[in-house]
Amino acid sequence: MNLAEGVQLVSLGLLSFMMLGAALGVVLLTNVVYSAFLLGGTFISAAGIYLLLNADFVATAQVLIYVGAVNVLIIFAIMLVNKRQDFAPLPKAWIRKSATAVVCLGLFSLLTTMVLVTPWNLSAEVASADSSIIEIGKHFFTDFLLPFELASVLLLMALVGAIILARREFLPEESAVAVQQPILTLPERPRELAGVTPGSPDRTIASKPSDRNK
Amino acid sequence: MDFASLVAQLNTGTILPELIVTATLMVVVVGDLIVGRTASSRWTPYLSIIGLLAAVAALYLQWDSSNPISFLGSFNSDALSIVFRGIIALSAAVTVLMSVRYVEQSGTALAEFLTILLTATLGGMFLSGSNELVMIFVSLETLSISSYLLTGYTKRDPRSNEAALKYLLIGASSSAIFLYGSSLLYGLSGGETNLGAIAASVAQARLGESIGMVIALVFVIAGIAFKIAAVPFHQWTPDVYEGSPTPVVAFLSVGSKAAGFALAIRLLVTAFPLLTDQWQFVLTALAILSMILGNVVALAQTSMKRLLAYSSIGQAGFVMIGLVVGSQDGYASMIFYLIAYLFMNLGAFTCVILFSLRTGTDQISEYSGLYQKDPLLTLGLSICLLSLGGIPPLVGFFGKIYLFWAGWQAGAYGLVILGLITSVISIYYYIRVVKAMVVKEPQEMSEAVKNYPEVRWDLPGMRPLQVGIVLSLVATSIAGILSNPLFTLANNAVAQTPILQSAVVSRQPVVTQQQATVKLVAPELKL
Repeated sequence: MNLAEGVQLVSLGLLSFMMLGAALGVVLLTNVVYSAFLLGGTFISAAGIYLLLNADFVATAQVLIYVGAVNVLIIFAIMLVNKRQDFAPLPKAWIRKSATAVVCLGLFSLLTTMVLVTPWNLSAEVASADSSIIEIGKHFFTDFLLPFELASVLLLMALVGAIILARREFLPEESAVAVQQPILTLPERPRELAGVTPGSPDRTIASKPSDRNK
Repeated sequence: MDFASLVAQLNTGTILPELIVTATLMVVVVGDLIVGRTASSRWTPYLSIIGLLAAVAALYLQWDSSNPISFLGSFNSDALSIVFRGIIALSAAVTVLMSVRYVEQSGTALAEFLTILLTATLGGMFLSGSNELVMIFVSLETLSISSYLLTGYTKRDPRSNEAALKYLLIGASSSAIFLYGSSLLYGLSGGETNLGAIAASVAQARLGESIGMVIALVFVIAGIAFKIAAVPFHQWTPDVYEGSPTPVVAFLSVGSKAAGFALAIRLLVTAFPLLTDQWQFVLTALAILSMILGNVVALAQTSMKRLLAYSSIGQAGFVMIGLVVGSQDGYASMIFYLIAYLFMNLGAFTCVILFSLRTGTDQISEYSGLYQKDPLLTLGLSICLLSLGGIPPLVGFFGKIYLFWAGWQAGAYGLVILGLITSVISIYYYIRVVKAMVVKEPQEMSEAVKNYPEVRWDLPGMRPLQVGIVLSLVATSIAGILSNPLFTLANNAVAQTPILQSAVVSRQPVVTQQQATVKLVAPELKL
């Protein structure tokens, strides 16, 4: 083993350790701010692993998009909510937790077995380290042209949709509401619960989230 | 590869229908920006319908295309995809008809609604023809993300918000599972994304029945089953159907589901030819569960939208019979049933929308005595529901008979018997609604019907609803009696599709149209 391979191995181990630790922290910590920052750590470790695989463009995109955009957005959302709410511990919570653990461990062992058993069809080509952007560009404009163009429609629609959901609607004055129903709601009235006389608005489904959709 | 030869190889003409839809949606969104909300709501729905019908016409012109593969293998515009793209575009056109008045009543902007609906249609149409993993995923996400947005479109209504959030969370996790399955396929095939190349490469590496392929299959089916709302991946359906705007529900139950079935056929048949027994087994289980749960739980529903939600789960179970048997007739009967389902389900939803617009409710009990006040609505809803239940001579009956006949021919006796039993159950809950509307005496009329407003079709947006009801009514009743063109269409679509030809083990010679019709009469007598 020469020096380069050694460095690679050590960095792989280090990055994997960071990634697994940060991911476990995201799931297990109760403070959501820690989780959000650890999620950024997970993304950065993944970017490091991409670098080790000679995928420099993907690594850059990972840092820019996931750490720079997605994760920052998550932290912003947490800061804006700014509400500290302690959840009452559920009775018999250990049953759920252990069931989740059993399912996750089962899935993990299944996938591990699969990865180890399968004779992977590895490509012998050396990854093009310096020209990966050129290769990606060539693919975008030859065999992945259609998905690439469709993604532009998808992004346009996501933009329109995000604006629709986020914009402040012009609401007419309360006195001017001549229509029989409040604006921006479904024309159907909320369903009344069985056994409640119609016309008692305080017991409708929509007013009590815990009763909905039973 | 230089530019000229690349352009020649792309074969861009095959996506002409999708280009028409894209152009329509661009005109709608830009035109709305220019002329403003109130002015644009007068012409955008009609422009969208014209665009969608033009796309259907463009699809028709491509029917006998000799070179369906385009974009270097990304897209396959064979007869199968043409039929499915037509179903999706038509369902979107009918959805536009029923949404004009509804969206206006809810006080939301119409042009944006149409834009997102057209994008969803575009995603579904591309999904029906995509032949490659990246393309499948991008078009699947286009369809899904626009569906989430449509679901939460009435944003001040907590029911709509809840529906959108549930749909988003469950949809995102199912997309992730689907993506994991696709990445396994990519890895097992040594870096192929084209479906045909994946199958060839996996077979060459003798990984066909390896545990990795089985896991990939299970994950991919989980993603597809979420789209077609098959039990046990159906949990989102009732809540989303109840909380979304009703035109969206209509599109989700027909267009989105048809896209899911197109994806199921293409992906399973092309990429998993060595695991045919396994995927047929998994889908059999899904079909059995969907038929039983969908139809039995629908019995207990009091809300019309929830009733239709559970009935659509049951209907998806019936359609899966055709997919499971894997014969030519199985696929053809699937297509036929989906076309029939398009008319009858959209008709039923149009009537439900009209009723809720006039009375503000969708409780089944409120429909009592409707016959006295609104005969056209009663007739439309009764015909569509009876057709969904499979009462002769409506189109749903012939669709079901064809499905069951194809299943019986292929030896899936248990499935067919279960299908018969569950369709009898379904007839019960459909007839219950019809009975409430028609049979009740005037004094048993519900409050909503007693206060029924005067029937007026000249209000803005009511004409399209009327056109929608009449069209689906005519299609549901006429297509039952004159169903031969549809049979021919479905059979030709399967006969002209190469992937289905190579997949079907020729157990029986291709039945000609006459024989098919004659044999179809036989099980009718046994009933």
